[in-house]
Amino acid sequence: MNALATLRRMHTTRGWIAFGVVAFFGLVLIPILHGALPPTSPLAVSDRVIALLGKFSCYALTAVALDLIWGFTGMLSLGHGVFFALGGYAMGMYLMLGIGKEGVYRSNLPDFMVFLDWKELPWFWHGFQNFYFAVFAALWVPGLLAYVFGYFAFRSRIRGVYFSIITQALTYALMLLFFRNDTGLGGNNGLTDFKQIYGWPLALAGTKRMLYIATVAALCISYLLCRYIVTGKAGRVLRAVRDSESRVMFLGYDPRKYKLFAWTFSAVLCGLAGALYVPQVGIINPSELQPSNSIEMAIWAAVGGRGTLVGAALGAFVVNGAKSWFTVALPELWLFVLGALFIVVTLFLPDGVVGAAVKLLEKRAPKPAAAAEKSA
Amino acid sequence: MTVSAPTSTIPEDPSEDRPTAEPPTIPLTPDSQRRPKARRTRAVSQERLMELVQGRKAVLCVDNISVSFDGFKALNALTLILDAGELRCIIGPNGAGKTTLMDCITGKTRPDEGSVYLVGHGEDLIGLSEYEIAELGICRKFQRPTVFQGHSVFENLELALAGNRSVWRSLFGRLSKEEAATIDETLETIGLKDARNRPAGQLSHGQKQWLEIGMLLAQKPRVLLVDEPIAGMTHAETERTAELLVSLAGERTVVVVEHDMEFVRNIANKVTVLHEGSVLAEGTLDEVQANPKVVEVYLGSGHA
Repeated sequence: MNALATLRRMHTTRGWIAFGVVAFFGLVLIPILHGALPPTSPLAVSDRVIALLGKFSCYALTAVALDLIWGFTGMLSLGHGVFFALGGYAMGMYLMLGIGKEGVYRSNLPDFMVFLDWKELPWFWHGFQNFYFAVFAALWVPGLLAYVFGYFAFRSRIRGVYFSIITQALTYALMLLFFRNDTGLGGNNGLTDFKQIYGWPLALAGTKRMLYIATVAALCISYLLCRYIVTGKAGRVLRAVRDSESRVMFLGYDPRKYKLFAWTFSAVLCGLAGALYVPQVGIINPSELQPSNSIEMAIWAAVGGRGTLVGAALGAFVVNGAKSWFTVALPELWLFVLGALFIVVTLFLPDGVVGAAVKLLEKRAPKPAAAAEKSA
Repeated sequence: MTVSAPTSTIPEDPSEDRPTAEPPTIPLTPDSQRRPKARRTRAVSQERLMELVQGRKAVLCVDNISVSFDGFKALNALTLILDAGELRCIIGPNGAGKTTLMDCITGKTRPDEGSVYLVGHGEDLIGLSEYEIAELGICRKFQRPTVFQGHSVFENLELALAGNRSVWRSLFGRLSKEEAATIDETLETIGLKDARNRPAGQLSHGQKQWLEIGMLLAQKPRVLLVDEPIAGMTHAETERTAELLVSLAGERTVVVVEHDMEFVRNIANKVTVLHEGSVLAEGTLDEVQANPKVVEVYLGSGHA
């Protein structure tokens, strides 16, 4: 009864059907089209496409996490690349140690350490031989950093554009740190040349498919978790904090705790996305920490539509899909297209693609239910 | 501050040529206190409390507080005792410190000196944060109605509901039957039952004011601070608001800051006049209006 009420709260029946269809396509149909059909079949999904979709799903997960704190809590983070990269590095360390003696130098140590003439693993690399340890680290390290950073930022009542600037500075500072060879994470080149994950060779089509499925599953589950949060009372408090933080305080809530919760949870999801991203693209290096990367994440959410979750995920697919196509077809034009896209969205679609679609539907059939659903 | 037409024997404003002492519109905080410091609360001194209360059934004691903004003394050794269940009106010319007094009680501004005691609570309220003071049952209604525009009327009340306000409870808790009943009751009291699911942003100005009062009720406060409740209201709305405030007192203590003297006459049994940051006079409206000091402050010495 309670569980049923919760499900009703999260989506209408039609919403659940739509979610089910999308999940079926992503989790069942596409893997079958990839694995069961011969590559010559017109319906077959190639290795390249499944890797691309897996990568996009990681981006979508990041965008959903960003939307939770930007769209619902009103804090624009321009540093979510930090949490993404930390999750990625945690997984990268596991993959690096998984290379074993297959590396260029035939040593148990990762190649870059041999190159730097290090004799043993730095202390913080211990434990990363274990897959579960690494996955766990990919979640708690970004979470802990977010918690500590958020604790001080929110305690000092840093808001709005100042908060965005500080997060941007955070990602820049971390980029400089990770560029150093002495940091012990591969410096400029980062971690790459991975061979296998959990005993499975990464080059295998089946491994790629499994990674893709894991990513889409993580995206679906994370989306539902975020949806659970934003449709409940906690979500209403978060939106209230976004609209008028001081009023929330005079109601007796401590807005800092709510912000800290959303912020940390968002960082953990981002870390998860990073951990799933690295085995699929095969490399993690400090370029992930470039400030422009974090800004691009905000563009995904803005294009799709802030405060909708679905929009953020959709935006990540649309923008990155366009990027993949343009950088192949018209490589010199991509940055202009990205800029134009941002201007068009800011000027004409302030609520993003999803927001515009909802408005259009409401205009056609002005039902009170539609308005209620939008506000929910 | 909104200036309403002078409707009574005491005019609204001091004479025009008098330099206004109202602090500028940018929110000034005392320099030393721009940021909330770590908690530094002190235990309530029982002797001091007895001395202040003197056998009255007090609920809130403001003891000797002073605040200055860049050298301007907004509050000057102000002492004020509020009795349980009374409806008190606070009046005074612009810049008398009415809003600053509210800010000090609710934790928005930290005074340079002085204490605020809530009877039954063991520590000085000065040093507690806004949300902690709100949780103790001191609630405030601002001049402008501040309801959550995007939330429905019901959700606004739900947010205000007294109870556990932890993140955990908000994530996994559920609205109990009693809580739902409280919300329904409140909707009835403020006359917004039919607007239950409408976004608060669509309500009229007066309805927003009531919704905000309803939110304060749902918080089950011991002390209700109301800042200019009828600013911008129609005549009918003003009357309803007066009824509402009168019905609220008794169970709780209600403090109203208001300019409109007719309104004050309608609701108040006791009036406190503030001037230059301290209490100038206290008593019934008639007593206060007969007080030569009050007349002088309001009309200037030439008319006295």
